Amino acid sequence: MDVFEAIRGRRSIRKYEPKPVPDDLVKKILEAAVWAPSASNIQPWKFIVIKDKKVLEMVRKISPGYFGDAPLAILVCSDKERAYRLGGELGRNYLTIADCAVAVQNMLLAAYASGLGTCIVKSFSSTAIRHILEIPDGTEPELLVIVGYPDQSPKPPSRRPLQEITYLNRYGEKYFKK
Amino acid sequence: MEKEKSNGDKYLFDLAVFLATSARGCIEEPHLYGPFRLIDALSRLIELPKYATCIKEDPFLAKMKRVIDEKKFLVVSDIEAFKIFLGNLVREFAEELKRRSLEKR
Repeated sequence: MDVFEAIRGRRSIRKYEPKPVPDDLVKKILEAAVWAPSASNIQPWKFIVIKDKKVLEMVRKISPGYFGDAPLAILVCSDKERAYRLGGELGRNYLTIADCAVAVQNMLLAAYASGLGTCIVKSFSSTAIRHILEIPDGTEPELLVIVGYPDQSPKPPSRRPLQEITYLNRYGEKYFKK
Repeated sequence: MEKEKSNGDKYLFDLAVFLATSARGCIEEPHLYGPFRLIDALSRLIELPKYATCIKEDPFLAKMKRVIDEKKFLVVSDIEAFKIFLGNLVREFAEELKRRSLEKR
């Protein structure tokens, strides 16, 4: 699949088929994640693949933004200690978030190209998810990626026009005149 | 995934977890997630008669649940439409309230 086709076609899916996600596709999604760019090549990410139904159900319940019964979720965490050791305060406080976000975008596109649907969830209780998944101090749960075969085809949401948000050489000078 | 079998105790506990985690989340989340969580909680609450046999299923509320579940995600795609949906929902509730109140007289 063409990259731009995946970028344009991907949607946030909130209704899934019960069909399980094959392990080879899980691996493909994770490989896509780790090929994302990373500031100073710190690669602060850690992934928790959640497949166990009971664990998944607990995670769903403590995540008000988690919709649908997807058979899989991947929690993307950042290793804040590693980021601080290699990237200082900037690394720990900001770059980890950016790195995890770009890794997640790779995951979404790889999943979409493999026929899977995904949804990013940030609305989870950090305290509760730490407790349930036994995440150690120094590691921060950043984003939860819900994965499964889609059971809906949402319409594309609107996007702000490029004319409104793009400038040329200086802020305020429109890049696109029309 | 097969839906986990539910009973009343579990329903109540799950709803409580949803409300508690939502309350904490609302401190930092976008302000429109407040109404979104409330309306989502309402949708879940309307399921109560399935678990509490002393409460009859209310066709009006069942209809409102269908509307809520169909429209609630407008919060992430079209904020203005989400606000209109909430306004319309409240109007429907007001009309039903009026109808029920006048019926009782």
